[in-house]
Amino acid sequence: MDFLSFLAFDDTGWGDEMLAGMFITLLVSVSAMAIGLVFSVFGTMAKLSHSVIIRSFGNTYTTVIRGIPELLVIYLFFFGFNNALMAAAKSLFDYHEYFEFPVFLTAAIAVGLVSGAYSTEVIRGSFLAVPKGQVEAAKSVGMSKFQIFHRVLIPQVLRYALPGLGNVWQLTLKDTALISVMAIAEIMRTAQIAAGNTKEPFVFYIFAALLYLTLTTVSSKALNSAESWANKGVRRA
Amino acid sequence: MANTLEIKHLVKSFGDLEVIKDVSLTANQGDVICIIGSSGSGKSTLLRCINLLETPNSGEVWVNGELIKMGQDKKGQPCPTDHQQVDRIRTKLAMVFQSFNLWSHMTVLQNVIEAPVHVQKINKIEATKLGLELLTKVGITEKADQYPSNLSGGQQQRVAIARALAVKPDILLFDEPTSSLDPELVGEVLKVMKSLAEEGRTMIVVTHEMGFAKEVASKVIFLHQGRIEEQGSPSEIFNSPKSERLKQFLASNLEG
Repeated sequence: MDFLSFLAFDDTGWGDEMLAGMFITLLVSVSAMAIGLVFSVFGTMAKLSHSVIIRSFGNTYTTVIRGIPELLVIYLFFFGFNNALMAAAKSLFDYHEYFEFPVFLTAAIAVGLVSGAYSTEVIRGSFLAVPKGQVEAAKSVGMSKFQIFHRVLIPQVLRYALPGLGNVWQLTLKDTALISVMAIAEIMRTAQIAAGNTKEPFVFYIFAALLYLTLTTVSSKALNSAESWANKGVRRA
Repeated sequence: MANTLEIKHLVKSFGDLEVIKDVSLTANQGDVICIIGSSGSGKSTLLRCINLLETPNSGEVWVNGELIKMGQDKKGQPCPTDHQQVDRIRTKLAMVFQSFNLWSHMTVLQNVIEAPVHVQKINKIEATKLGLELLTKVGITEKADQYPSNLSGGQQQRVAIARALAVKPDILLFDEPTSSLDPELVGEVLKVMKSLAEEGRTMIVVTHEMGFAKEVASKVIFLHQGRIEEQGSPSEIFNSPKSERLKQFLASNLEG
């Protein structure tokens, strides 16, 4: 009974705080994934560019970000991002006041940068996987570049990319545990605080694990149905 | 009336390798021109230069009396200057590919009506009617709602022909349409092509099917190392070839 009272949904227990943490985790994950997808669109365009210079930008992004620990990226953002923004504001807009960029957004951008580097590789590979003939057929009936892109390429790229992006989503979701170092009350941070207060670390870390599992299980179910939708017309081997 | 298709002094090279060396040809309304030649002779490249899937290095392509405007890009490479013109002319030059290239995420009917609806902006109900008519014509109405992966090669190629017909082209380009088919499926595709020829459609066909060329072509062109080595009516080409190369080619390609 003691065990459950720790998780009560009132001022005596931590249940409501943990659920709020789960909500924050979900919010950061979704934001980070979305920011990452934006990064990955530019990353993919850069990596598939004809220009050597633009290509090297893309390669530097994915090589550096995938090559250093996520925690390090998050620390760099936590300690450097605000100062960099203030310096930029000073030189670009002659703005000298102190300001604090919302820490939630800093966290989402940091995790998004990492997520985007992995998504870039997934999407780039998917573009290359679309057979050339699919595009040639579209050209041969007079489709414009834009039509080819959104009528032929995007649906097929999605089909190849979804399993990989599902993987990136799960990684992104778990990477958000690292932003607990920024004192954002997501699942991990809340569990740490609760564990410290109640001296029951095991109970709260198990509970945190269950919350993460809930999120990942539900989302992988959703991804599976998205995949089978995108794979219409593909014969299973 | 202007010639339906006219190619003047076309040259195409890939790097240092010159694949098409000064080829000119004319197709009039209703012509069925078969281009034959051994692999590597440049026949597919020539065909792909006509609808600019490959950009010729020099030369002119005229469709219905209209010259496709060519210029140079920033690197000095030849490129078409008016992309809208290219897109428009391509609907006059529908192509059937060796490997079908049906869009795998669309059903058979969706493949056929894609260009009419999205390129030519025909309303969907009319396009569907047209699509079903064309599928009847190539003999696969019952597969309209299937995805291409559920069809045999011969069926896929017939759908691809219907897709090409759907844009109401003036000229049909066939790039070795039967080369990736199992032997027993070749006949059904050739039959459809033959019926199109009988309707008086203008067709340029790159093919290894000598029987088809002999029976259906109004003119046969023998390409060798990027040049037109010999051209003429089927009986001239097949019964009284002049050049040694053509004689050799026919000896190794005609059975019996």
